Amino acid sequence: MEGFIEIRPRRRFFLRLYLHIMLRVLGRAIQAAARVDEDVKKEFNAMPENYTFSLGAFPAGPCMIIGKDTQGIVRYMGSDMEKQPVHLKITLKSVRHFFSLLTFTESTPVSNARNRMIVSGDVPYACAAVRIMDIVQVYLLPRWMAKMAIKRYPRWTFKRHTVDRAKVLIRTLLGF
Amino acid sequence: MYIPDYYEFGCPVNIVAGHDSLEKTADILAVPGSSQPMLLTDKGVRQAGLADIVLDAVKDRLDIKCVEDGVPPDSDLKVVRQLAQLYNQKGCDSIIAVGGGSVLDTAKGINMLVSEKTDDLMQFTGAGALKRKLRPLIAVPTTAGTGSEVTIAAVIADHEKNRKMIFGSHFLLPDAALIDSRMTLTLPAHIRAATAMDAMAHAVEACVMLSKNPLSDAHAKEAIRRIMKHLLPLIAEPENKEGRLSLALAAALAGIAFSNSLVGMVHALGHSVGSVCHVPHGNCMAILLSYGLEYNFHKTEERIADILFSLAGPEIYAKTPKSQPAQKSIDCIRKLNRDLFQATKGLHATCLKDLKDREQHPMVPKEKLPEIAQTALGDGMVFYNPEDVDYEDWLMVLEAAWEGVPLDRTKVRKG
Repeated sequence: MEGFIEIRPRRRFFLRLYLHIMLRVLGRAIQAAARVDEDVKKEFNAMPENYTFSLGAFPAGPCMIIGKDTQGIVRYMGSDMEKQPVHLKITLKSVRHFFSLLTFTESTPVSNARNRMIVSGDVPYACAAVRIMDIVQVYLLPRWMAKMAIKRYPRWTFKRHTVDRAKVLIRTLLGF
Repeated sequence: MYIPDYYEFGCPVNIVAGHDSLEKTADILAVPGSSQPMLLTDKGVRQAGLADIVLDAVKDRLDIKCVEDGVPPDSDLKVVRQLAQLYNQKGCDSIIAVGGGSVLDTAKGINMLVSEKTDDLMQFTGAGALKRKLRPLIAVPTTAGTGSEVTIAAVIADHEKNRKMIFGSHFLLPDAALIDSRMTLTLPAHIRAATAMDAMAHAVEACVMLSKNPLSDAHAKEAIRRIMKHLLPLIAEPENKEGRLSLALAAALAGIAFSNSLVGMVHALGHSVGSVCHVPHGNCMAILLSYGLEYNFHKTEERIADILFSLAGPEIYAKTPKSQPAQKSIDCIRKLNRDLFQATKGLHATCLKDLKDREQHPMVPKEKLPEIAQTALGDGMVFYNPEDVDYEDWLMVLEAAWEGVPLDRTKVRKG
């Protein structure tokens, strides 16, 4: 259309950079927790083989994909949605909402209650994915910050709080 | 008063309520240009003559392509697929759904398939999966409870997986809800009681759960007030058409409220009891509602206290000591259940172990509780519950509800 000026949203470079970094950390931490934590293992065991889920921002914001292969190994699979089919998509309606979520200024339950998310796929697996992310946030974040992100801070054993946390953090850092 | 930083509220459904609202059916369908609807109902509704009342109301103005009464009480994905095929074969262009929750939700399921031209309903599970408007749908509720005529949700069972699938989208809202007092005249007393308690659960959970907001509160509290005023008298005197209309309106108000603020663990657990043990949804809600409030008490005491005025009226509200209104609200709901038990001559169960099927077999054997708890872990409604709930928590609540004893609040884990 002649004379039509398309208005594009600003790219918000630093906001997107922060989200990319956080998603990479979260993705690798989920991969690590799936090898260390019994509850996370149990959640993934209940998912079918070759199952993938993603967490991202609408319409084409930063995202991460987690997948379980035929051997039951859980992997962080980057962010390329074209490369593999994604069975469950948890999508924040805007990058700004995603930023609030990943800066823990808005908890996952509150974000959901405020209708910020779109869930496409099996709801039971979405529940499992949220439980997994809750556990991983407890591993990654200090107690005061994790309390802002989840509904109830769990009462874990001393070993889980220390040894398992150290294992998850080291694996996240090294990416295995 | 609690005012959230952000909330959404809407109800674009054209609600037509009255003692002869069905006569508007053809006019409403004329707006989107539909004239060949499928009339969807179930056998009970048809035998009660309710489908005939609708057919009479539209006979000269609409070409009803087919009247299908094959919706079972606990409709599932297979039934939805079969009925969608029938809709296409008969060349229908809209649906008039006449029935309770199962019929209305089945109609929403059919509408998804025929509008999106697919036979895979599972692609629309979850929240916000539909992307465009569906074909015209008119909902005519025959129970005063489900609220499905004004909600964005549809719950359809997957019997292969023993699970209830939840579909949530604004595009699932019917084009119109026709609330007509004639439709609830023949409702048996125990079904009237159970379905109204379903509406009560919608309203109370809407006032307590995470997405509550002032607008949904206003609808929910009015729904609670109407249920408390009309339910028990209607059990004794179902001929009171003003009472029936008011109760049906209460169900719609509760539906609008929970469609905007959603529900929590009571519904998550109710869906799971329903899918594992095939207990009617209203019975589950009646039993589980007080337990959901007790479980969330430490996080929502003020919110639970806030509904006492609607539950008990101004006198009891004024007399209740300041430290007790939340507990009094829970007591009111338990008392209503006990009164309904008396009024229905024991047909309205007050605990899970007392639920019996037609052959008087227990519907919820105690050994099924772990399976129910496991199923509840996968219900999306738990997202909106203020407190986290894990497998042990579900089991604890279920065991109390099975025995019919109050939940020991000291055992509820706090973060």
